Amino acid sequence: MVKISDLKVGQVFRNEFEGITRELLQQYAKASGDTNPIHVNDAVAEAAGLKGVIAHGLFSFGFISKLFEDFLEHGKYGNIIEFHIEMRGMVRVGDLLVTEAKVEKIEGKRVFFDVNQITFTNVDIKDKEGNIVKQFEAGERGYISEKDIERGLVKTKEVEEGTLTYRERVATPGKAIIELYE
Amino acid sequence: MSSIEEMKKNAEFLIEKLPGMEIPGSAKLSVRYRNLVNFAKCFGITHPKYVGTEEEGIVACHAYANAYTIKSLYTLVPGVKLVQKGEERMLVKNPRMILHAGNIYNWEGCVDVKPGDKLVGTAKFGKVWLVEANMMLFAELITTIKNQNNETVCNVVVTAGIRKGGY
Repeated sequence: MVKISDLKVGQVFRNEFEGITRELLQQYAKASGDTNPIHVNDAVAEAAGLKGVIAHGLFSFGFISKLFEDFLEHGKYGNIIEFHIEMRGMVRVGDLLVTEAKVEKIEGKRVFFDVNQITFTNVDIKDKEGNIVKQFEAGERGYISEKDIERGLVKTKEVEEGTLTYRERVATPGKAIIELYE
Repeated sequence: MSSIEEMKKNAEFLIEKLPGMEIPGSAKLSVRYRNLVNFAKCFGITHPKYVGTEEEGIVACHAYANAYTIKSLYTLVPGVKLVQKGEERMLVKNPRMILHAGNIYNWEGCVDVKPGDKLVGTAKFGKVWLVEANMMLFAELITTIKNQNNETVCNVVVTAGIRKGGY
């Protein structure tokens, strides 16, 4: 059960999704009616200077609304009042999409959240000699830009196969308001 | 590509002309059971409220607002014509220059979307502003989506950006 008295400013709720594929983007295009080919056709996306298909701007919003629908147990404990989202960074096939909602303030039965959707884009894994032992789509297609490097978004971490290079950035910042029944 | 001066004049025209202007016409969307289920499944939604049987009845997940927002955008905005200096022009001169910058979805006092609903979207322009650093023009589209019973299912403010050369 979710009650207003159980919530505290600063609490964080999150979900993760690591299944963004070309097939899923096609499925979403059909279901949403957003049939712009830059989301489903690599040749068209490349011609538009995108180096490969990008997810629909609103696609990732679905995981924000799912986070709150799950949290409220689908209307059992309250209602979603408002979402405010900005599309800042492109979401790509293969990205890990992490959605986090942090309680910003509580007024009466309304809870206000800061929302951030962060993408983790794997580039490659190198061995100790610097040889690439595994390359991901972002590495093959050159999704990572000089600006990403300048901004400090490209990071490394040790994994079983070697050193993983990846980009971490906020793709969709936003706000959410929900209202609980009690 | 237009000169910076020409772009600034076009931007000034749109900043003066658009705010509050109602967009003629409406966007219509028939809601089908299968479509709602397929939409919800894109996000791994398994709750029967959204993907249950047709007989038991389902409602649209909140993310379905994307579908009627896109339908409204694609239907309403391309038809907007304006008269600038006595000459008719399209609002967006090059549709490839449009970027979707953000959305505000508000469901306060709204009813659920269900299979069989016939949704109607109408819109008017809100704030319009120019960011001179990159000459990007932004416009708000205030959209109301109602069902066949004239009940509001969602109020949406769409923010679109038009890159230089597009306005």
